[in-house]
Amino acid sequence: MEGLSFLTAGLTAITWQMVLMWLIGAVLIWLAVKKDFEPALLLPMGFGAILVNLPLSGVIGDNGIIRWLFEKGISVSEAFPLLLFIGIGAMIDFGPLLSNPRMLLFGGAAQFGIFFTVCMAVLLGFPLKDAMATGVIGAADGPTSILVSQVLKSNYIGPIAVAAYSYMALVPIIQPAAIRLVTTKHERMIRMPYNPQSVSKTTKILFPIIVTMIAGLVAPDSVALVGFLMFGNLIRECGKLESLSQTAQGPLANLITILLGITIAFQMRADVFVKPGTLVVMVLGLVAFIFDTIGGVLFAKVLNLFLPHNKKVNPMVGGAGISAFPMSARVIQKMALKEDNQNHILMHAVGANVAGQIGSVVAGGIILNLARMWGMM
Amino acid sequence: MGNLLNWNFLTAFTSVVGEVKNADITKSFELMGKGMLGIFVVMLLIYLVIVLLNRFTGSNKEK
Repeated sequence: MEGLSFLTAGLTAITWQMVLMWLIGAVLIWLAVKKDFEPALLLPMGFGAILVNLPLSGVIGDNGIIRWLFEKGISVSEAFPLLLFIGIGAMIDFGPLLSNPRMLLFGGAAQFGIFFTVCMAVLLGFPLKDAMATGVIGAADGPTSILVSQVLKSNYIGPIAVAAYSYMALVPIIQPAAIRLVTTKHERMIRMPYNPQSVSKTTKILFPIIVTMIAGLVAPDSVALVGFLMFGNLIRECGKLESLSQTAQGPLANLITILLGITIAFQMRADVFVKPGTLVVMVLGLVAFIFDTIGGVLFAKVLNLFLPHNKKVNPMVGGAGISAFPMSARVIQKMALKEDNQNHILMHAVGANVAGQIGSVVAGGIILNLARMWGMM
Repeated sequence: MGNLLNWNFLTAFTSVVGEVKNADITKSFELMGKGMLGIFVVMLLIYLVIVLLNRFTGSNKEK
């Protein structure tokens, strides 16, 4: 029988942690397929979680493909999340924001959950770098969460990626509950007339260039994130590169998404994933999303104290200032219609939502800036 | 009182994740203050740029 041990080496190397990771992988695949929760990311991550947790798995050995993809695509250069940003930038129409720029303020306020969560994580005993990486789940932006946690060399890259994408899929459940907690029915019924200014093509072309320069000058570590996002947007708006724009939005984004999901599974190995802190990170991710929403809503309520009666903002629009685009804007519009079937605030919410895209990458960059100043990287 | 202000009452606390450190608590609050300030500074600058762009490029409009 000993001669057949080469056939049983895998079986005898199974640990309960590996089995747990198979189950987690299966749950992620189930959420993707049955519940339609961010299937493009959760399915590759779920399959990857199973793949890397097979005993003696060849994909994570010294020459393993997933190890190689992780090292080259994420660890060394953060190439995958950044390349995905080109696609995201090409998908975003900043028009609703450019015609109604005050929505930018909500894209800033709704990043509050990030910093609140960092404080909570530290109070729970996380080292500061892990707390900062965990807080960035509140950016509601998977690539930013992955990039910041990787640059900070967090011990929780896997759980952070899973939390970021899972909660993004749960925005339709999380945001209405958080918004109802801090608003009255009367506030949710506030109507906002939409009188957009027309936006020139020159503005649309100059916007991504100038935003990159501002972000780069104020928060230099955000320049990779903002720069790639805005590069994608410039390709879209210049009017001369339609084919490249379509490629960035479609094939490039799809290709990177496939690879990013399965590559991040490298950080879902049982030995690095199964630890008490993982569960705490998942809970803190939820806290981050809730306090992002509450931060945006409360900011709108404070703003309303200073605005004339006919210019009041529906506080729910503040909650749309997170980066989960366009899901958050849709959720807000649905809530508004539920309270008043003639209340159309979608375009305001879209403006706040795309502002949240900018806010989240700037927040990630500022966190990296401060980490660098504090000698953490 | 001085100890309370320095958050020293937390030094002895160790959670399931690890030891709660005074220095990290102070830095996390500093991060919150500087982070939110930084974001609003960037957002206000971008706001200003959009207003200026809309004003000076207004002659060549498209829907």
